[in-house]
Amino acid sequence: MRFQALVKRDVLVSWRKKSNIYQPLVFQLLIVTMFPLGLGAGAQTLAKIAPAVVWILALLSTLITLENIFKDDFEDGSLGVYVLSGMNLPLAVLSKALAHWLTTGIPVILFAPVTGMLLHLPEQANGILMLSLLIATPIFSLLGTIGSALIMNIKNGGMLLSVLVMPLLAPVLIFGAGAVLETTLGNSAYGHLMLLSGCAVLCLTLAPLAAAAAIKINLE
Amino acid sequence: MNRIIKFYHEMGSPPSFYRITSHWLTPLLVLALGLTLYGLIDGLFFAPEDYQQGDSYRIIFVHVPAAWMSMFIYAIVGVAGIMTFVWRMKVAEAVMMASAPIGALFTAVTLLTGMLWGKPMWGTYWDWDARMTSELILLFLYIGVMGIYAAYDEDPRKAARLAALVAIIGLVNLPIIRYSVYWWTSIHQGSSVSLMGGSNGIQDWDMLRPLLVMALATKFYFLYSMLSRAQSYLLKTEQHKQWVSKAIDGQARHKPGVSS
Repeated sequence: MRFQALVKRDVLVSWRKKSNIYQPLVFQLLIVTMFPLGLGAGAQTLAKIAPAVVWILALLSTLITLENIFKDDFEDGSLGVYVLSGMNLPLAVLSKALAHWLTTGIPVILFAPVTGMLLHLPEQANGILMLSLLIATPIFSLLGTIGSALIMNIKNGGMLLSVLVMPLLAPVLIFGAGAVLETTLGNSAYGHLMLLSGCAVLCLTLAPLAAAAAIKINLE
Repeated sequence: MNRIIKFYHEMGSPPSFYRITSHWLTPLLVLALGLTLYGLIDGLFFAPEDYQQGDSYRIIFVHVPAAWMSMFIYAIVGVAGIMTFVWRMKVAEAVMMASAPIGALFTAVTLLTGMLWGKPMWGTYWDWDARMTSELILLFLYIGVMGIYAAYDEDPRKAARLAALVAIIGLVNLPIIRYSVYWWTSIHQGSSVSLMGGSNGIQDWDMLRPLLVMALATKFYFLYSMLSRAQSYLLKTEQHKQWVSKAIDGQARHKPGVSS
């Protein structure tokens, strides 16, 4: 019950503050414009780097939103209330991750074919692209809860968050962008997607515990 | 058995840790310097030339021991992190935060010597090969541990526990990162030393000896540097405790280094 209420509240807060939702998409659009400007508009050059660029854009645009997962709740004290109310803290973390995924992950998944099209990504790769992002965006949100919980007490912690989360995201990027690349080359993406799913399961089980531990230390 | 348990408990308390380890520093430093000197002379002048790489291969006497240390120290940071996190031991905090910069330094040395070797051998300073990439990511992990600690400068104990959490998360992820990067691609030459005597490992004892000596030397250097860093960490974080003023008074009255 409380889990649902928390998710509903967070989604509502994000929905009212629309910038949370369109910020990553505007960011992607801005950056994707720079690639043809810098590389030249040749369709073949762009198509070659498209799988990686689309994936990196999805990752970076999520990365800039991670800092705020806990920051507001920490600053206005509601995070303290969750802990004091005796709520299962990892479960609360999970609800924050779910709300973040609903408001950031889903738009990013839906937007990926657009950036793909702008970079001449072959159309038959769109399915795998969205599928790989569907598996990976929850990982972004879950790892984001760890990063956000670690830095919520720090002013301008965004840079530190990137340093903390980037090594953890490296395997996700390898498998995710690899899956799309294999598809454009006409190979099966099955292996990459399986490994990506493994990462997702691992994050789903361990990330809430780690983030809850960080919150507890921060609130001490 | 009792003495080992007693020793373990003594090492867990900052004053006795400080007292016991201050006797070790000089011998450790002497061992580290002596072995480094011997290993370098042996490796640079007496080890035979490689039949393929000529004299350029000699950088492995620095590169390989540094690479071993970079990973070994991360394991120490991780284990000390677990001890910090679970038992809140101050000495474990000190060991963790003292080890991290040394590990980062060895990682940087590994990367730099690798680049210097890569230029004549591969024709490029940098190549995104699996080991170089995972070594670079290891450097980021070290920077993360140190960065989160530095960010919470007003409360060192809280900072240490958060850094411990980061170290543990890194420890869990390290195998995943390494394997994912390995599957990604690799052109790095195979392992230089293999216990089973693999086909492209070093076979010649005259080449292996300086390498092992240097490996030992880096271990002793790490112990020396880590312990002296851990000591100053404890002095700093416990500066209002009585034992610190006693230890410092003792050092002022007697010869430096003695504080019993």
